[in-house]
Amino acid sequence: MMKKLLLTLVAIAGFATLASAQTKLPNVKIENGKGELIQTASLIDGKTPMIISFWSTTCKPCIRELNAVNDQLIDWLDQADFRVIAVSIDDSRSASKAKAMASGYGWSDFTVLYDKNQDFKRALNVNLVPQVFVVDATGSIVYSHTGYNPGGEAELFQQILKLQK
Amino acid sequence: MNFVKLLPLAAFTLVAGAAFAQSDSANDGDDKKGFLTGSFETNTIYYVADDAVPNYNVPNDRFGSNNYLKVDYVREKFTAGVQLESYLPVLYGYPTDFSGTKLTNIYASWVDESFSVTAGSFYDQFGSGLLFRTWEDRALGLNNALMGARFTYNFKNYLAVKAIWGTPRLGMEYDTGVQYRGLDLSLNISEMYGAKNSTLLLEGSVLNHYEKLSQALMGEDMSPNATGYSGRINYEVGGFMAKFEYVDNGINYYSNTDPNIEGAFVGRHGNAQLVELGYSNNGLGIFLSGRRLEWMYSWGTRNSTSTTNVFNYIPAMTLQYTYLLTNLHPYTPMGGDNGLGVPGELGGQADIYYNVKRGTWLGGRRGLKLHANFSTYYGLQGNGSVFKTRHMLFRDFSADIEKQWTRDFKMNLLYSMQERNTTYGTSDKTELAHIIVGDFLYKFTPSFSLRLELQYLTSKEGEKDWMAGLLEASFAPKWSIFVSDMYNNGSTKLHYYSAGVSYAHSRTRLQLSYGRNREGYVCSGGVCRIQPAYTGANFAMTISF
Repeated sequence: MMKKLLLTLVAIAGFATLASAQTKLPNVKIENGKGELIQTASLIDGKTPMIISFWSTTCKPCIRELNAVNDQLIDWLDQADFRVIAVSIDDSRSASKAKAMASGYGWSDFTVLYDKNQDFKRALNVNLVPQVFVVDATGSIVYSHTGYNPGGEAELFQQILKLQK
Repeated sequence: MNFVKLLPLAAFTLVAGAAFAQSDSANDGDDKKGFLTGSFETNTIYYVADDAVPNYNVPNDRFGSNNYLKVDYVREKFTAGVQLESYLPVLYGYPTDFSGTKLTNIYASWVDESFSVTAGSFYDQFGSGLLFRTWEDRALGLNNALMGARFTYNFKNYLAVKAIWGTPRLGMEYDTGVQYRGLDLSLNISEMYGAKNSTLLLEGSVLNHYEKLSQALMGEDMSPNATGYSGRINYEVGGFMAKFEYVDNGINYYSNTDPNIEGAFVGRHGNAQLVELGYSNNGLGIFLSGRRLEWMYSWGTRNSTSTTNVFNYIPAMTLQYTYLLTNLHPYTPMGGDNGLGVPGELGGQADIYYNVKRGTWLGGRRGLKLHANFSTYYGLQGNGSVFKTRHMLFRDFSADIEKQWTRDFKMNLLYSMQERNTTYGTSDKTELAHIIVGDFLYKFTPSFSLRLELQYLTSKEGEKDWMAGLLEASFAPKWSIFVSDMYNNGSTKLHYYSAGVSYAHSRTRLQLSYGRNREGYVCSGGVCRIQPAYTGANFAMTISF
């Protein structure tokens, strides 16, 4: 049994190294705050980079991370022009609650999107939340991280600063 | 049947063919070649004998491992992908119809401005999912993808149409002999009339479920077809939101438990109503929901009781907790139970979130976040009861605050009062518990922090009092270690301890933990599965690339 598993793992590790890392933001349909379907490609504006953070109402570390970003956003925006896209992966039951939560947490500077059918999550191969992506103005993914430890948000801003140069 | 099996393949070839025919239009070099992306996830447990845990016998080969490899190829608007699943064997307590290694999912899709085509296995839902939903939830051990085709079309922003057809996945196979056919329509009335400040959507769906009657069931008064409908209104203006949904679920067949009625199954006509009201503005969020369910379980195959055999979404609409003691007895919704004689449930919940701004008297220098929730559910009295109910099934009131005291110190406090019916609505017997949680986070340096959770549950009934604690040290952004213990000091005197370490780098995360796990419900997205008690070492890894 262990042999089988090891073999699978080796095969996968090999495959993972061969396959090129995802570079472009995929294009799928997702709901905006009004309940309308938009294409994720429309997020790319050619001018500003963005932090895309996947979260859900039941994911404490996700909320901690977004709150940490929100607390420092005013200072960060003084140094760089970028956008924060908070993608709720809550299903239809919790999506309305996610909206109330986003407002209750004062995330008024974020663009909150609702990935109810989890198409965006699947397309970006997000298995675990929180997962964040830093995407440049042309839609290329330059950085990604899974999981959140307090203080980890500093790395996101470093990545944004790198894109300013 | 063979023809039906070939259809997805034919559709797949068509989409893939169309994609390659279009490839001339590519401009960017990177886009033209396309790229591969994917992910791998393993959840592996080594089980250890533990005589202290009741109802636990260590599995024979002491080993369980759920593995998922997903690979997608993306080339402009075209995407194709596969998912390989391997259960070596499936983890203890998961549905046993997951076994062996197999390429379970395969799909190709084309997403354009005004239309999209998907062939192969796909996930989708109509409205809130009360009528129809297919999805994957690995924590729950659920994957009910359809193998078939989906087509969507939108005319400007006015109209969105979706058509689906497919045979459902059950376990590792799609050969259930069941077919789903559905149509979903969404009309954006405000766009049509150019209303700028509000959004009004009128939506409707129809779903047909076909399952061939076996020879044995031919004589019974059953139909191979069940057709359901859903009608919805969504309205938004300013920070206000209102949603209404009515579902007629058609006739579904429940196992007959009444010896006075002939036949193996009894048909039940299902229906559901859902109301959601929300207001969010300027640091305030209010959300109210009410729902009534009557005979709302939609099984794909009549003869399977597997948790993966469900094709609509009826989650518990209560507050979903994340703390250990608040999750001892989560609510599982009552969608109609023939054996218990409870046709459904009626209830609702209210949430209020408020962000007290910094600089105010209450908010202090760094603001204060407040949240409260109330939810309650009752069992329906009889078939067709609209508002008549019998026994309370569940009630929960909770309030929590989050306060950032200094730049380095943050505190969360939570109180919850939970009362649940211990007989699933057949009597009025309930158990009541009060729970308090303190969650403290202190940042010693920008990258090193400690988090401490202290919890206490007090109850005069059931297992009586519990206490729990958790300490987590984080070294941002990569490492974290934790120890936790949950102790029943009211009756069983059992410790449920756990310790672990996790490492994250870029898109890879590894976690190793060891502990004793209590028997109970594992819930994800408000849908629950019973997890038997076990003790063991757990290795979890996710990689995406």
